[in-house]
Amino acid sequence: MKKNILKPSIAVVSLTCCEGCQVAILDLGARFLELTANVKIGDFSLLEDKPEEAEYDIVFVEGTPLTAENVSRLKDLRERSKFLVTIGACACLGGIAELKNYQDKEQRLKYVYKNVEGIENPDIEPVKNYVKVDLEIPGCPINNEEFLWAVKELLAGVVPKIPQRPICYECQLKQNECLLQKGLPCLGPSILGGCGATCPSNNYPCDGCRGPLRGANINNFNESLRNIYGWSQQEIDLIMQRFGMLDDSYPSPPSIRGKMEIKKIEK
Amino acid sequence: MKIQIDHIAKIEGHAGFVADLVGGDVIKARLNVLEGARLLEGILRGRSFEEVSSITARICGVCPVVHTLTSLKAIESAMKIYPSKQTILLRRLMMDGQLLNSHALHLFFFSLSDFFGEKDDLRLIGKYPERAKDALLIREFGNKIIEAIGGRSIHPLTPQVGGFKKMPSEEAFKNLAGQIKKVLAATEKMAVFFSHLKYPDFERRCNFVGLNLPGQYAICEGIIRVNGEKSMRIADFMPQIIEARIPGDAVKRSKWRSEPYMVGALARLNFNAEKLKPRAKKMFSRVKLNLPTQNPFYNILAQAIEMIHCAEEAEELIGEILENGIEEERPSFKIQAGKGFAAMEAPRGTLFYCYDINDEGMIEDANIITPTSQNLGRLEADLKEYLPKLEMKSRKEKEEKIKMLVRAYDPCLTCATH
Repeated sequence: MKKNILKPSIAVVSLTCCEGCQVAILDLGARFLELTANVKIGDFSLLEDKPEEAEYDIVFVEGTPLTAENVSRLKDLRERSKFLVTIGACACLGGIAELKNYQDKEQRLKYVYKNVEGIENPDIEPVKNYVKVDLEIPGCPINNEEFLWAVKELLAGVVPKIPQRPICYECQLKQNECLLQKGLPCLGPSILGGCGATCPSNNYPCDGCRGPLRGANINNFNESLRNIYGWSQQEIDLIMQRFGMLDDSYPSPPSIRGKMEIKKIEK
Repeated sequence: MKIQIDHIAKIEGHAGFVADLVGGDVIKARLNVLEGARLLEGILRGRSFEEVSSITARICGVCPVVHTLTSLKAIESAMKIYPSKQTILLRRLMMDGQLLNSHALHLFFFSLSDFFGEKDDLRLIGKYPERAKDALLIREFGNKIIEAIGGRSIHPLTPQVGGFKKMPSEEAFKNLAGQIKKVLAATEKMAVFFSHLKYPDFERRCNFVGLNLPGQYAICEGIIRVNGEKSMRIADFMPQIIEARIPGDAVKRSKWRSEPYMVGALARLNFNAEKLKPRAKKMFSRVKLNLPTQNPFYNILAQAIEMIHCAEEAEELIGEILENGIEEERPSFKIQAGKGFAAMEAPRGTLFYCYDINDEGMIEDANIITPTSQNLGRLEADLKEYLPKLEMKSRKEKEEKIKMLVRAYDPCLTCATH
């Protein structure tokens, strides 16, 4: 039997995004190359220019389904793949493109383009709202160590489970000074850890790129940011919008609060 | 005859190519950019000056450093904030890291295979294991510089308006200093290797645009130069760039005075070769490029020479840091209304940012013009001129050469669309 028949086939596919997660995978360097010896890479468009495989054992999807082409590609990949993993904030949560969900997106479109004909402008939704997702590896960008761990588990036939621990867990292990207590709007307590608390370790308050912890009470957290730490609702909203936390804070935030617009914006 | 390539791999983002030829004439040659519009400039409106640079970093996962820093510079220019000498030095060093990591990726992993008709980088690595090691070493070193200062290589965390959220540790620079000799040698080996490749013969006339600064190979600041003759301030040049969208995709293509132009390593080298650091300059004279060169394929070789320069500059700047130490600085400034322009040399060419900020520090207007959106028009004009020269080649060879020229520009369609 030929050796590579036994190798699982893998694809790394980008929808609309910055492709930083694909870059993070490449940045595993020699360790990524070692990994490729054990798998058959079917599609990884930063690295090769070959025809696609008919079927995949595992497909990794980064990016957000923004165009109709993105959506049909995603659905087609789902059908041809045994296991679909979303990687990164865009695929798992919507990413920064999702900010327009909180704004008047038609007005934003007209601001960027004089001629808007043919430009798709849907609400941004995570991949799981379009197809069944078997595993999510969050982050903006992904933590490539966590990715490597997850891939190794998958190749060993185990579905990895990211521990449901807040960012604060890793932050405390690193003995960081608490940014929240210093008065900075850090979302750490309600966000899923696993990133190594890279942001707070660099005095950058967690802005939630890995999404909320399962069962986190975002409304309560919001109230403490306001009442204990003295942040205005507008300031909290700006931060909670960044990676879509606001969706978990209120059932349908834009309609409750009105879309965020600037008065002087019409030109 | 119609030439259609549905998907061009090994570039950042998604694009196809289509051309119509009648007889020997090229009626149409264009890149179909298959990226969704994220409406970045629209999204930024009404958001705070404190967060927009972290948002614009996400325009590109390959060059997030230059997006972060150019965005910050535009805000500083709008609010009349003048960063310290130390901040400027650390930013310059970050940009050396940015050019090193991006060029290493482009040269070895995107463009090299075109010279050998190889479709798969993993096989290319098997064929040239030493060069692959060099490319990875250079890329990792670039990343380490960025991490040491920015806290993270993709979407750096510490840069902020006026300075940094956290000062880097001197320990990190000692580590970098320990590796620099090896990295510098690797950049030289890479450049020698790339100088021995056979570049397609294709000269055309084109306008070049890039930053220019007396006594320095301009990357982080400067004034705009067109064709090495005209010089103008960034604030004067950027409004003269006319962006227009051709229906069919979401990208705007840029022109200056009704003509497309080229930005990037080749433009920079054409303008600034005499300002290269000594070892880069030595390599430059060794490869015998006659400047200004009009062959866009040499953008690849120009990047290889720039890698040596950036490694040398990094060595100097790291030395300076280790000598003077890092001073703890807390940026202090007043939020004020204003309009600000900024430009930096991204790996792929000049990146422009402009913000209008109100007195509460909220963004009212934003405009971002990326290198690829400037290069696209020129690339398409090149393809139009280049195709007739390929008349005698087979369809497959034509397609290969088209892809090679596209990749020589090192386009980033995610940047271009944003």
